[in-house]
Amino acid sequence: MKTLIQRISLIVASLAVLNLAGCASPASHEGMTPQNLTVSKKHPYSISVETKGGSETGAMDSSNISNADLKAAIESSIVKSSLFKNIVQGKSGDYELTVSVTEISKPLFGLSFKVDLETAWSLVKKSDNTIAMRKVIKSTHTATMSDAVVAVTRLRLAVEGAAQENITQGLKAISELGL
Amino acid sequence: MALTSGCAVNRATANVDNPAALNGLKTMYVSKLEPDGRGINVLIADKLRTRGYTVATGTEKPLDVDALVTYKDKWMWDITMYMLELTITIRDPKNDFPLASGNSFHTSLTRKSPTEMVDEVVDNIFKQGK
Repeated sequence: MKTLIQRISLIVASLAVLNLAGCASPASHEGMTPQNLTVSKKHPYSISVETKGGSETGAMDSSNISNADLKAAIESSIVKSSLFKNIVQGKSGDYELTVSVTEISKPLFGLSFKVDLETAWSLVKKSDNTIAMRKVIKSTHTATMSDAVVAVTRLRLAVEGAAQENITQGLKAISELGL
Repeated sequence: MALTSGCAVNRATANVDNPAALNGLKTMYVSKLEPDGRGINVLIADKLRTRGYTVATGTEKPLDVDALVTYKDKWMWDITMYMLELTITIRDPKNDFPLASGNSFHTSLTRKSPTEMVDEVVDNIFKQGK
């Protein structure tokens, strides 16, 4: 009986360590890039992308979205979907897309991690500075124990999933514009 | 299964979409978060008044103000309850588009009072908007 209790204690302790082990890792741009994104319309223009409001992930922090990774994920998605003719760096494109992370709501504990993400998308035509689109985009993603047993990984997957959904909605909205 | 440890994590960020639009505001409405039983909306409204704005607060969604202010607060327990995170967003009341937002995150060892959290977030937003 004592051996059984010791074994159960060991398993519980191992699970706890497994769950807590490891530092938080940031949402990666690969993880935030939507797979199989299809757009209804493609625009024959160049575009530059700027991202704001993101934050780096500290070792003792929880997964965050950095501006650089979000920008890379949006740019990859535009290239993969051919939504715009090409992407330029700086301000020399036909259009300028600015995406700001406004709110990201993450759980602190639990089995299923639900992340809510709100971003503000602004698309400006550079030739006359007219606003082609201003839109608030809200997305949600839940990662469960079947996605990852380790909590820090599960949270990162939930953040990346919410970002994927957000980018999908944003780019689909742009594809529906008559630019 | 807590994700946070006892170590101190501090983060304070702010982001302003259009500083000119932010500087042109005169009247604001702080939209009370439905589950907020601690009166954080009142603290935010008071803080904005000290910066010279005419501010009302409640559960309505008026369109006749220059900006709508929303917020999200997250609390944790460590001996006592404390505010872990606060996000404040200043929006265009016509379409909810964010004009500016700020976020502060302080774990237990470097905890701040709700008033200090509100001060930090609001001050950072307007510092960024200069």
